[in-house]
Amino acid sequence: MTSAIHTESLVKKFRRVDALQGLSLSVPQGAVYALVGPNGAGKTTAIKILMNIIRATAGRAEVLGIDSSRIRGHHFQPIGYVSENQQLPEWMTVGALLSYLRPFYPAWDAKLEDELIKQFDLPRDRKLRHLSRGMRMKAALASSLAYHPKLIVLDEPFTGLDPLVRDELIQGLLDRAEESTIFVSSHDLAEIETFASHIAYLEQGKLRFAEELTALANRFREVELTFDAPPNLPQKLPDNWLQLNTAAAIVRFTDCRFDLERSTADVRAVFGEPRNVTFSPMSLRSIFLAMAKSARNSD
Amino acid sequence: MKQIWTILRKDARHHWPEIAASLAILATFAWAEIYSWTHSRNAAYASFSLLTASFLPGLVNALVPLSWIFLIVRVVQGEPLVGDRQFWVTRPYDWKVLLAAKVLFIVTFINLPCFAMDAFLLARAGFHPAHYVVGLLWMQLMWILFICLPAGALASVTRTIPQMLLALLLVALFMIGMIALSQVIPNSNFSSGSDWWTGFLFIATTVTIILLQYSRRRTAAARWLIAGLFAALALIMVLTPYRSLIARAYPLSQGDVPVEVKLLPAQTNRGSYYDQGGEVSIQLPLSISQLPKDTFVDLDGMIATLTNANGVRWDSGWTVQARNFFADSQSAEISFQVDRRIFDQLKSAPVSAHLLLAFSTYHDTNQRQFVVPQGEFQMPDVGLCSASGPAYFHSIRCRTPLRRPRFLLITSDMASSTCPWDKQDSPAPPGLLAHDSVRYGDSDPAEMGISPLHEVDIYLSDWNTLGTRFSNPGICPGTPLTLSNPEFVGRSRVELQINNLSLTDYKRGSGKITFR
Repeated sequence: MTSAIHTESLVKKFRRVDALQGLSLSVPQGAVYALVGPNGAGKTTAIKILMNIIRATAGRAEVLGIDSSRIRGHHFQPIGYVSENQQLPEWMTVGALLSYLRPFYPAWDAKLEDELIKQFDLPRDRKLRHLSRGMRMKAALASSLAYHPKLIVLDEPFTGLDPLVRDELIQGLLDRAEESTIFVSSHDLAEIETFASHIAYLEQGKLRFAEELTALANRFREVELTFDAPPNLPQKLPDNWLQLNTAAAIVRFTDCRFDLERSTADVRAVFGEPRNVTFSPMSLRSIFLAMAKSARNSD
Repeated sequence: MKQIWTILRKDARHHWPEIAASLAILATFAWAEIYSWTHSRNAAYASFSLLTASFLPGLVNALVPLSWIFLIVRVVQGEPLVGDRQFWVTRPYDWKVLLAAKVLFIVTFINLPCFAMDAFLLARAGFHPAHYVVGLLWMQLMWILFICLPAGALASVTRTIPQMLLALLLVALFMIGMIALSQVIPNSNFSSGSDWWTGFLFIATTVTIILLQYSRRRTAAARWLIAGLFAALALIMVLTPYRSLIARAYPLSQGDVPVEVKLLPAQTNRGSYYDQGGEVSIQLPLSISQLPKDTFVDLDGMIATLTNANGVRWDSGWTVQARNFFADSQSAEISFQVDRRIFDQLKSAPVSAHLLLAFSTYHDTNQRQFVVPQGEFQMPDVGLCSASGPAYFHSIRCRTPLRRPRFLLITSDMASSTCPWDKQDSPAPPGLLAHDSVRYGDSDPAEMGISPLHEVDIYLSDWNTLGTRFSNPGICPGTPLTLSNPEFVGRSRVELQINNLSLTDYKRGSGKITFR
């Protein structure tokens, strides 16, 4: 499978701040790829480089096979980009915005435009400046979906939106997921979890990991060991055990390389035979909290 | 082309209030212009008319380019080039298309209306616009080069109107600085010698900034370019070898002097003058001779070097004189300012003065007679004229289309004036010639301006030489004039060595008026 987005050792420095420190990732075509991480992790910077809004200090990136630093003009015809920070022409009505953009896209689908207007419940005759934040995001998304983009890039699209609007946006995206690659940045893990197929975690400009969401979910387990008496913790623990803590005769930790046989063997090797061992699947949010805390502690 | 049209239509819809305001101001300008033709200058001094005939046109004159600049800024900033949040940068905008749409907008809503208004004014003034299309287009080109381009360049490196105002403030400060600099750099006011280069640099830089911003959106680099342009212009002003350029332009005469000038004795009554505090005005009366008939010279500038016996030396640097010496002129006065401190050092004893006079010589050609008709008349080379007066003086006021003539000399025998003589004045004897000239030295097809019409006043000066003064009654219907088109012959420098010059004798103004 070829990549819709591919970056190699992408570096971006803002004076003394290293916003990106060698980001390398590959977004497969057809994926719903989520770039997640805390605020200031470098997600928006990465996306701006991909969209050629800013230039990388070093490294390279390709978007739909085009060097991102060369992306301009007609290269944007198969790309839909929506950002929470984007400044739309707010003096325009929703209808005027769509009418204005129509001639720029040969693949503009007027029928789809009508469907999106209905789906998002957008008032055509209302000026963008008079719309709520959520409605503006929906208008921006509608204007970026109506031409069947091959790649949809969304930068923090759900920030500050109420759950209903989020659901509408996500549904709107999912309806087009079959024909597009979706690359979305967010720190809203609960929402991402519902529709992302791939996930990459960026922290302080560094990519901590990037993989398919199902693989990630399979790889992480919350492990709870119950002993008859409080166990002695050995000096050295396996490095895939994160956030280990004890409470009386119970030991909890996150196993970030879960494999039932190997993980069971690791527990036995370290603790012998606990009275009870449970491996519980983790939510994306729990996984990232564990990752983030672990990274913070190791720093 | 479709995208250009789409963007243009969007901009026109968005900026219609600014467009309407700009067109209204332009229409007001046209109205004020026509109003000024139909209300004579004399009426302008009536209390109400002063507002309408003098203040209003001045205000509208300033408002027209300001409204254009505002419109350009608004339309360029409609798709901001500064920042990284504008929606259009991630849309299929081709920068060339976007730039073309903006250019088309400016041409459509600034140049075309201005062109149409100019054509209308020409027609209204009695000139067929079809005969002046090249000049009208030239005027629009000048607006594009010197208003639209710089306004567009500044708009492309700013994001908002306040930012633009700040940029304009910086530009104004720079211009004030340049003017102040020109005052302290010797010779710079006589000949910059670098106008072409500065003009080229200015236009090239603004074009580069616009292209850089539209193609790459390199705001920091574009702003540095502006700073670089300012620095380069200042450096050009400081580093231009004015003296060498002037010396090259005005080669020293080797025997074949265009005019013989000699110092005349100091006059007893040298009039009053405004004491400029730190400077003393020295006025030297000169006799003029050996100017061939049909030849005259312009004294473009001069440089005075004063030396006294103690070795104190002072040099005026090249100063602008702008005086005409005609074959019938017998004398003229030249003046220069001396620093009071230097004057005080030199005044006690005679000094040696070395004057270098820069002349342009002209041969008076194509002489023809012209008798001023009644009412409105067509004056050759000028335009539509009428003899006006008599509130202040009798003269001819003309409206000339696009540009003043390259050089038109008007000569009249004062005794042949048909205007009534003032009883207090003694009539001039026949043979005393009064002159005026209308000239626009450049060969451009039009002068830069909002209006295609230029008002030209032809006024014949008094005949005044060394104590003998005859008031000129002026030009009235029936006054015979000699019109001619002087041809430039050449430039030269003439040296005049004056020994034992008593500066005190030639100091201007016995009864001075002092403002401190």
